[in-house]
Amino acid sequence: MRVVQVKCPSCNTPIYSKERDRLFFCDKCNTLHVRDGGTDKVEYEIAEFNKSAQGEKVYMPFWRMYSSFVIRSKSVEGGQLFRLANWLKGGGDTGSLFIYLPATDMEPSALKYWSTTFTATPPRYATRLNFGGVRRLPASMTKDEATQMADFVVVTMEAEKPGVLQRLDYSLTVNDAKVVYLPFVYAQSGLVPAL
Amino acid sequence: MTGISVGLNCPACGGAISVVEGEDTIPCQYCGSMLFIEGDKGVSTIAFKSKVIHPNAVAATQAWWARGFKARDLKRVGQVTEVYPIYLPFWRALTRVAGWVCGYEERRHTDKNGKVTVERIPKEVMVLQDYNFSEIACDPGDLGIRTLKNFTGETSFADFEMIPTFEATTSKDDAVVHAKNDALSRARSSARVPHVTFERLHVVPKRLSMVYYPVWIVRYKYRDRMYMTGVDGVTGQVMSGRAPGDPVFQSLAVTAGASLGGMIAAAGLIFSDGSAEIAIGGLAVGAGILYVFYRFFRHGSEIVEGEFREKKGSSKQALKDIGSIAKQIQGGMR
Repeated sequence: MRVVQVKCPSCNTPIYSKERDRLFFCDKCNTLHVRDGGTDKVEYEIAEFNKSAQGEKVYMPFWRMYSSFVIRSKSVEGGQLFRLANWLKGGGDTGSLFIYLPATDMEPSALKYWSTTFTATPPRYATRLNFGGVRRLPASMTKDEATQMADFVVVTMEAEKPGVLQRLDYSLTVNDAKVVYLPFVYAQSGLVPAL
Repeated sequence: MTGISVGLNCPACGGAISVVEGEDTIPCQYCGSMLFIEGDKGVSTIAFKSKVIHPNAVAATQAWWARGFKARDLKRVGQVTEVYPIYLPFWRALTRVAGWVCGYEERRHTDKNGKVTVERIPKEVMVLQDYNFSEIACDPGDLGIRTLKNFTGETSFADFEMIPTFEATTSKDDAVVHAKNDALSRARSSARVPHVTFERLHVVPKRLSMVYYPVWIVRYKYRDRMYMTGVDGVTGQVMSGRAPGDPVFQSLAVTAGASLGGMIAAAGLIFSDGSAEIAIGGLAVGAGILYVFYRFFRHGSEIVEGEFREKKGSSKQALKDIGSIAKQIQGGMR
């Protein structure tokens, strides 16, 4: 077992942080990288806060995966509509969509809520280059893990009411994945998007 | 979260840092540097510090002799002949299962005319759960120890040179496969969907580590026969062991089993009131009870505790056997 100081792969600046995070952000050159068997730079976007956002601000990391989806056959008891087909670009049972998955550790119910909410209604935002001193929640999910979990998100969306899912024969391909830091504020009810 | 922590030093400032087992990143609490922990070939390795000393291991074994249906004179006649510690290697994995299990369950309803209808209730169950897995990473022989029960304690490699260590002989890839299969099977069971029509479960391995765990081996003699116990080197509890049984308990068991089983079978026949199901049910329960006690009689000459491959005479095995007998009887009734 060996301990190494994490340095930016672009400018070699040591990374400092107060929190345990799998994604390392260099404040000097704005490079985000991950160490998982090797050192890899990660594509990312940081969303701008809504100007009227009130309360303590925080950025939550999400994996955003551009995916192709093909439903070959399906069966639902007691339901008529297939919700997933409504979200697919291209119509019918074949198309593509952005799948969002929180990269930070959270309760299963919260993970399900945020992933299905943002996948069903993709957030629209302006981007910025850095975090501007706003705290960011640490990431704990790797890209590989997120790619596997993408499948879970789409089936979850299809399995939601109406009806009880009985069979879904499909294929899912993740074409591209990047990290998106979305703005949130702490409210009495918990974290609320500040887009 | 486990209580295992490993002591290391920050390469930037030299400050002492404590890393929770399985974590690969940590900020230094002194200089704020982000640190990355590189494991041996990608697998972090830790060793638990042995908290148990020779007299504790002997005392734990002697206390174990007095429990259960072991020979009543074991504590008086048993003689400890050899006591020594060893390190056993274990694979430890944390896996997350995410997915859905869909299908249906069938409920049978009988109306007053005796007509049976089957209702089919569709089910869809989401699974999103983390599972801990451990398995021994070497051939445990006749130790009766295959998984880790305790995950908390102080870790240190200080005892590593002094205590004999079993080398890991099973592969990392096999351990990951076993951890995945274990998580899948537990996830399926937790979904409780009797008839599955669609299943999509993803198993994501999150952490894998090699854990060296101290175990005290205590060998002892009872009436010219050798027996052995494995004592947990951290908690001081007996993890596994073999001990002589008591012929008096065996005789009592077969007598009590025959009486109780006979009474239940007879009660089933007497109070069946013409119902074949109650009569056969009573017979089956009576036979089952007799079988449990018979197994104790048959295999009670040696009491075995722990994770042995073929643990004859165990209550778990007996219950499995009863389950299969009950299924056969049910099948015969249909």
